Amino acid sequence: MTVALLQVRGLTKRYLGLTAVDEVSYEVEAGTVVGLIGPNGSGKSTIVDCISGFQPADGGRWLLDGHELTGLSPHRIARAGMTRTFQTVRAYDELTLLDNLCVAAQEGDGVGWLQALGRGSRLRGVEKAAEARGRDLLTTVGLADYARAPAGILSYGQRKLLAIAAGMMARPRLVVLDEPVAGVNPTMIRRIEQVIHRLNAEGVTLIIVEHNVDFIMSLCRRVIVLEAGRKIADGPPALIRSDPRVLAAYLGQRGAAARGHGRR
Amino acid sequence: MRGGWLRAFLVVLGVAALFAIPRVTGNEYVLALGVSFATFSVLSGGLNLVYGYTGLLSFAQVGFFGIGGYTAALLVTEQDWSLWAGAAAGGVLAALVGLVIGYSSLRLSRHAFAIVSLSFALLCLIVALEWVSLTRGAMGIPGLPVPTLSLPGGLRWRLGRPADFYYLLLGFAVVAHAVIYLVVTSRLGRAMRAIKLNEPLAQSQGVNPLSYKLLAIALSALLAGIVGGLFVFYLTIVDPSIFDFYYTETMLIMVIIGGPGSFWGVLGSSAVLSALPDLLRFTTDLRMVLYGAVLIAAMLLFPGGVGGWLQRRRLARWRRPGAVAP
Repeated sequence: MTVALLQVRGLTKRYLGLTAVDEVSYEVEAGTVVGLIGPNGSGKSTIVDCISGFQPADGGRWLLDGHELTGLSPHRIARAGMTRTFQTVRAYDELTLLDNLCVAAQEGDGVGWLQALGRGSRLRGVEKAAEARGRDLLTTVGLADYARAPAGILSYGQRKLLAIAAGMMARPRLVVLDEPVAGVNPTMIRRIEQVIHRLNAEGVTLIIVEHNVDFIMSLCRRVIVLEAGRKIADGPPALIRSDPRVLAAYLGQRGAAARGHGRR
Repeated sequence: MRGGWLRAFLVVLGVAALFAIPRVTGNEYVLALGVSFATFSVLSGGLNLVYGYTGLLSFAQVGFFGIGGYTAALLVTEQDWSLWAGAAAGGVLAALVGLVIGYSSLRLSRHAFAIVSLSFALLCLIVALEWVSLTRGAMGIPGLPVPTLSLPGGLRWRLGRPADFYYLLLGFAVVAHAVIYLVVTSRLGRAMRAIKLNEPLAQSQGVNPLSYKLLAIALSALLAGIVGGLFVFYLTIVDPSIFDFYYTETMLIMVIIGGPGSFWGVLGSSAVLSALPDLLRFTTDLRMVLYGAVLIAAMLLFPGGVGGWLQRRRLARWRRPGAVAP
């Protein structure tokens, strides 16, 4: 039995007495795509913010590949191999798409500040490799035509794609996508789905936090469901769909009885 | 790449032309404008690095400028240091002070830094006025000697003529801008811009914002400190007015009109705005009114500065239908 890539144990986060995340534990095996769903306010985003270092946790530990990430600052967690995207889509509007991606690779490549200023062959080699990977990723997400354009020209959906590509840039072990398809049109949703499949096929492990239950159910073989800061279900989509606690959480008791199944 | 060579050629040409000015005219007034441009361009270039590239509003530059001035003046007059060593020490001290105020306030937020930098600049003024045993208070340190610089090859350069200080400050400005240019066009500059544009995103990609912010602050403080050390010997006096808010105001105007985050924009606006108050001298009554009018017009025409206007044009070009690049 190998150790899971990500282990989260007893993660707890309180805001002024309100427990947003209550002793949540889960593991993510390498090479999988795991969905994290739950109604509004169930603690999904808080979990992402905590394990990526953006919010201090009040309890619990988390480890990536056996290395302790608990309490590290966001940039250290990213360098350790776990990156994330944001619900409110973020990009460097004034930088070109390629620079948007190359920034995301430059901190882990071992080239120091003086080398960066000296512009020696080492730096040129590293930057060339980063640019090649950036172009590859832009091709994967279908934005290769805009490689030299500033990110400010992209549409909302395109920015989501760029953010996913940027999350992959440093060859992380694990990527957490925070609502990758929220507010995105159906055509673009299919595109993002294909991109996630392709990246997973290349060996990237992903956690996907979403409101869009259909999207999660078709994409993930394992789904974790949260309600009011607690984990209430964890298993394959088929089981999740028929889990009475999940139905109650999502549809309320009445809705669950009326609909009889978990499709939205 | 062709554009790169053309630009390099123009830069060399421009620098050569600036260095040739004293040969064309010995007019002290023109040289004084040149000294003022060289000095202010270093200050605004440093502020641009901190504010324009890294996104930290800073009022501390004038403090670094004055610390450099006082340090160099005291070391040269009381410890018999050379001007080189005195100015360098002023720069290093300013950079260390910059690291201290940056490290202590940036752990809170960038707003905290803005407030601390403002308090720091005011504190510098108070210290210069009140620590009489060191700074001689409001009288300052007048009558700074004409410095003699040792040059490589055993040459000695006595800075006796106005043109000498013009050469010295212009030469240092060229070095300072070359350093700033090297940083902002490297991937360090790219990381600084990333931090300014979206700090959480940069953090999520492994960028440590604090280290880049401290680099920007320390470098700008170093340059401001050195230029302060050189400038006070041109003035032949250092007194508390070196911490005047006027310097801060001028630097900020230069950066804002030039476009924060635009190297050439801020350099260009430093040149124009160093000369503008004097170009408007033809009408003494309305001089400052016209100066204000020019600033207002510039902000109306270029709300993001000249650099911001160029950036918007670039965006517009990409937004045109069918604008897809190879």
